[in-house]
Amino acid sequence: MEFSFYEFRYAPLSIQIAGIFIVVAIVCTFLAYFSILVGRYKAYRQSERLKKLHPIIDEQLMEHIFLNEELASDVPADQVQLPLESFQQPVFEKKWARQALIDRLIHYRNNVRGSMGEQLRNLYIQLELDKDSLKKMKSRKWERKVQALAEMSNMNMSIADVTILPLTNSNNRELRAAARHAYIKLSKNEPFKFFDVVTEPLLLWDQVELFKIISTTEHIAIPNFAQWITYSSNKSIVSFCLKLVVHYNQLSAVPAVIRLLDTKDHYVRADAINCLGKMKVEDVEEKLVHMYNSQPLNCRLEILKALGRISSGKYVDFLRQEFLHATDFEVRKHAAKSLINNKWAAKGLIQELIDTATSENKLILKHSMNPLIKF
Amino acid sequence: MDNIWETLGRIYENGVFIYGTILLVTYALLAIFSMISVRAYAKRDNADQLNTLLSSPLAPGITVLAPAFNEGLTIIFNVRSLLTLNYPRYEIIIINDGSTDNSLEQMIEEFQLVAVDFAYNAKIQTKPIRKIYKSSNPAYAKLMVIDKVNGKSKADAVNAGINAAAYPHFVCTDVDCILDKNTLLELIKPVMQEEKKRVIATGATLRIANSCEFDQGVMTRMRPPRQILPRFQEVEYIRAFVLGKMGWTLLNCVPNVSGGLGLFDKEIAIRSGGYDHSSFGEDMELMTRMCRYSHDNKIDYAIRYIPKTLCWTEAPVTVKIFNRQRTRWARGLAQLMYAHFGMFFNPRYGRMGMIIFPYNFFFELLAPIIEFTGIIYYIVMTIFGLINWPTALILLLFVYTYSVMITTIAILWDQLSFKYYKTWKEVAFLCTTPFMEFFLYHPLIVVFALRGYWYFLTGKKSTWGNMQRRGFQQTPKPAATAAAAK
Repeated sequence: MEFSFYEFRYAPLSIQIAGIFIVVAIVCTFLAYFSILVGRYKAYRQSERLKKLHPIIDEQLMEHIFLNEELASDVPADQVQLPLESFQQPVFEKKWARQALIDRLIHYRNNVRGSMGEQLRNLYIQLELDKDSLKKMKSRKWERKVQALAEMSNMNMSIADVTILPLTNSNNRELRAAARHAYIKLSKNEPFKFFDVVTEPLLLWDQVELFKIISTTEHIAIPNFAQWITYSSNKSIVSFCLKLVVHYNQLSAVPAVIRLLDTKDHYVRADAINCLGKMKVEDVEEKLVHMYNSQPLNCRLEILKALGRISSGKYVDFLRQEFLHATDFEVRKHAAKSLINNKWAAKGLIQELIDTATSENKLILKHSMNPLIKF
Repeated sequence: MDNIWETLGRIYENGVFIYGTILLVTYALLAIFSMISVRAYAKRDNADQLNTLLSSPLAPGITVLAPAFNEGLTIIFNVRSLLTLNYPRYEIIIINDGSTDNSLEQMIEEFQLVAVDFAYNAKIQTKPIRKIYKSSNPAYAKLMVIDKVNGKSKADAVNAGINAAAYPHFVCTDVDCILDKNTLLELIKPVMQEEKKRVIATGATLRIANSCEFDQGVMTRMRPPRQILPRFQEVEYIRAFVLGKMGWTLLNCVPNVSGGLGLFDKEIAIRSGGYDHSSFGEDMELMTRMCRYSHDNKIDYAIRYIPKTLCWTEAPVTVKIFNRQRTRWARGLAQLMYAHFGMFFNPRYGRMGMIIFPYNFFFELLAPIIEFTGIIYYIVMTIFGLINWPTALILLLFVYTYSVMITTIAILWDQLSFKYYKTWKEVAFLCTTPFMEFFLYHPLIVVFALRGYWYFLTGKKSTWGNMQRRGFQQTPKPAATAAAAK
């Protein structure tokens, strides 16, 4: 049973490897424990530091910004004297503390408007925190660049187009998105210029983020989105512009959207029909009904929805026909819903359908009429 | 004759040695891959992103499906938990799968449900629907309850929910699971952020709820389970999700999205035929069929996992219930391998056929069998005095230390990214568990898996079974605590 080191040296190779791996596994296990401990300690220390620092920052901001009487008066924000020495305490020479100060300033700036917001920006500049952000911007790490872009756009600091535009086409998704947001917020001339240069498709996530930036940024000049709907070769840009057209109810773009009904891509076509329906463009109903039979299912459903949204009452017979004769369940359901939406023009018809329809069709009608059921 | 036995023994030993080596190397690679995935996720994770999506009119709609069978003890509490989810466009469908208790009556009363004429389109065949209910209270407008005839499987219930779902994605969960309030936001993110592929499913880490604290269906304090059996399962879940699934996600080779929580592409799920009600591992079976469908139809798909814990489930506390659960899982795995054996090493199915399926076959299905035969071999060798004890003990120690290391690394990845437990003592408590797992927990899993295979081979009749919930621990309210103290 005895197994000495001497025997181990002459043991089969597999046993020697196993012996080495036992040592490796024990060392790795202890290293893992150590890392867990260190990780938790670091997180604890950081939270304790911030717990002490945040009240100091808050106190200074409260005294010199939020309760500053000069700011409440008519004195322009850039002429109010800021007591920089209060923020030039030794603790703010440390990198982590300066970062905490930046984060705190951004936090408050996102929650205040007007001269207070401007003053927080002035403080950011006068304490030279913008240099910290610029330094991060030059980092090779994408996450540092993203952080810098977020800080600078939140503080409304201008960045040269030559620096930011190439980043809007970066291979890194996060960096690309951050650059696009910053560009829309900070570009003084043409905030939507990157729509012209973007080569990759806009992901659904990008669209959500851009939509928020565009719809919440103040003093942004909203262009006529028809220019991209007509000329962009990037389908995702076209699709996104259609959503913006609906959001801004941009009637001037309607002719460009109508032209899209002839596009070969049926996904884009469906988006265009959706857009026209939501904008309640009554003139287009005839064309939609005319093209209906040659369309794939997704476009047919969008046409039926559009007729319901527009609710002109002109095409109740068409809807009735689809409801009674279509074989697809979804088509019948959407036809019924649109008929109900047109009920001001089809009251008698709906009652007649309820009285004469098959049990399944009657169920579809009742489903569509029930206000508790939305879809 | 002796020579034949000797030769067979040597072949077996060498075979097991090669098998073991490949398995250990695979685990080491998974540990590395998972580290890369978890770190990449943690770097990209940003709470602001969730807020952006939460307020967006462009968020895709999601249907939450939760089948319930005799869950009267916790049903109200669990539905309330689902109603607190953060998401701009979602609906909740509870499928009452012919419960014989008062689950339905409780829901009707609590949520002011009324029967509605719902145009139900049975795209996937299920047992008949009795009634569909919606709430007359606008506060519960998102809630729909389907009452159906018991289909003797979770699959049949979920299929009924898929048929009634309005949105293009559905999240499948168990009604007894508690979800994080941001679950839907987190699960849809990989779908929306994928650049080139179509994400057909997303999963997230599940954890054990047994010792956690909840308040009105919201998890308020996470703790490792105090009881030993649930604690073993907690460690197993961390290893399986944080290390295993996150490792596989880097290679786009996720073998399964857990039935406890997963988001699926409704169109692909329906076209693949929905859940198989005859399967005991319906979640894995659906995933395999969705992958198969995607390959057959040239859909460039992806399955993604996220390392964040978004779901807490009540783990079996007794060996009897645990046995029932694991036997069912093992039987499901055997069914799956049998049903889809045509994918095995079939290049037509890409990574699914060349990596996932062989891995599942060799290292999930065969592992308990090989372990069992190994123990028999050990005993026989011991009886005949053919064991070289120092060598055997070194190999045993090697396997033991390696398994402890792998599990500890999984706990480390989890801890470095998300510090779920409040105190270091709780982490230390959890870290002691892998030392006992090898002797106490693993043998149980092997035995129950073999039992599952046996049931599969003999075709023994059994159902998906009631898990006999105890209900979640509520945070004591100050007034109640004071009264109790008096």
